[in-house]
Amino acid sequence: MSKQKFQSRFSTAVRPWIVPIAILVFWQISAQVGWLSSRVLPEPLAVLEAAVRLAVSGELWRHVWVSALRAMAGFVVGGGLGLILGLLTGSFRKAEIALDTSLQMIRNIPPLALIPLVILWFGIDETAKLFLISFGVFFTVYINTFHGIRSVDPALIEMGRSYGLQGWALYREVILPGALSSILVGVRYALGFMWVLLIVAETISADAGIGYMTMNAREFLQTDVVLLGILLYALLGKLADVAARALERHWLKWNTAYLAP
Amino acid sequence: MTTINIDESLSPQAVASRGIDIRVRSLVKRFGEREVLHGLEIDIQPGEFVSIVGRSGCGKSTLLRLLAGLETITQGTIEFDGQPHGGNRGDARIMFQDARLLPWRTVIENVALSLEGDRREIRAAVQEVLAQVGLADRADDWPGKLSGGQRQRVALARALIHRPRLLLLDEPLGALDALTRLEMQRLIERIWQQHAFTAILVTHDVAEAAMLGDRILLVEDGMITFDEPVRLPRSREHGQPEFAALESRVLKRLMSTGSLNTRNQTRGRIVSILVGRPLTEVRIETVFGIISATVSSRSLSELPLELGAEVLAYFKSNEVILATEDVNS
Repeated sequence: MSKQKFQSRFSTAVRPWIVPIAILVFWQISAQVGWLSSRVLPEPLAVLEAAVRLAVSGELWRHVWVSALRAMAGFVVGGGLGLILGLLTGSFRKAEIALDTSLQMIRNIPPLALIPLVILWFGIDETAKLFLISFGVFFTVYINTFHGIRSVDPALIEMGRSYGLQGWALYREVILPGALSSILVGVRYALGFMWVLLIVAETISADAGIGYMTMNAREFLQTDVVLLGILLYALLGKLADVAARALERHWLKWNTAYLAP
Repeated sequence: MTTINIDESLSPQAVASRGIDIRVRSLVKRFGEREVLHGLEIDIQPGEFVSIVGRSGCGKSTLLRLLAGLETITQGTIEFDGQPHGGNRGDARIMFQDARLLPWRTVIENVALSLEGDRREIRAAVQEVLAQVGLADRADDWPGKLSGGQRQRVALARALIHRPRLLLLDEPLGALDALTRLEMQRLIERIWQQHAFTAILVTHDVAEAAMLGDRILLVEDGMITFDEPVRLPRSREHGQPEFAALESRVLKRLMSTGSLNTRNQTRGRIVSILVGRPLTEVRIETVFGIISATVSSRSLSELPLELGAEVLAYFKSNEVILATEDVNS
């Protein structure tokens, strides 16, 4: 690599970080000088200290683990059901006629509007959180799976049939791979939505998890821990997005949009 | 045809792999109310290369799709080697205008589509046909990385690996640039000579039809209206005077207004031209009333259209909507 090329790569890697770092430095300075009250916004270093303190005591990991587990369980249940039903209604006319209208109607209910009913049904324990997350994730995956199956190029299906592909073979070679990019879009949206629902569910009530940690800290005016909780949510959301992108890159590596230049 | 003589001296298997003999009798195809083919008859010899030309919408593609088993026959019969032809069969393969490769499978996997058996053997066989179409080095590429011509080569290889006795070509070169097209014509001709299958090429390019066909058929309004053998030695060249004469003869036949069904044309006078982009609406006053036609802005600049001009309006029989409703209401 020439020196010039290295420099240009280096600068494209560094430049996007200049603004965030400048903001952090300015924030730290204004907190230290006293422009910002720590009750409004704690200084960045205090947040870092809180993170280290909670990490060392092990409390942080327990909360993160509980929250991640909740999110995953909701995602697996809701996403799994959405995928199965989406494949079913997408592939079989009869299933579509029987189910799609009902599902489309229920889809219009914002999951968060269900909270009072969910509390009445399940109380405030884990089942309520699982239900809420699954419910939200389900429709995102369902819609995109259904749409994905339906938008597979009919010319390719005809070609497959003319080569004698039928039933499962046609499904495996043509229909599923054709629907995959749309399904993965659904998965990515669902992962984003999953965190929103988790935050709300944990804020209702919990005895462990990031939401519990944050609400608890609020009681004691520990703004540094509150901010840490918010940052943890952001970090987990980002992680989920990175994972989804990695899946896309792996499964859609044939797609020119993902092909290495 | 020399290829047939060679085959007849070979083993029974070689004879069996020779082209299919096709006999089409009173073939009718209707889509709902619309009749596309009206009692069409053709005989095609084993190993013959037949070019079918015609205007778009004349039914030539429908004929090919019927031969491929992609559509069902409304009336009449298609016989392959004397047997009634029903649905899909392993020894007839079709190439479409677009290559229709699975973008999520590599070139080699696309060619091996629906093949079963030992993977190493399949790979070797695929490599062999890829070499025949000149793509041996692209076996592991994604179709997304190939050019249009290369994709059609892969589609050709995919058809060839099944050792078809009938290859149906539905304007497979229509979307390619002129140079790639010539290359592909040579390739298809060479492979047809090697494999001795029956080939039917549907095209709207008369030069292409004359370049490849042993015979040129013209389909007009669902009927065969012209059937002429091409007695030029292969490989043919565009520059040859006989070739040019043949080409212009077919073209003339294709373009002559007389060959259009008189039901499908009417005289009229232009009453208004509503210029729009990309389509311009031209209204023509005829004995039937006002007919509105849309033309592209490019045709508009090429055609001397002006208000009050006398024009001849053609319409496709399959795109007319009949209504009993009062036009004035």
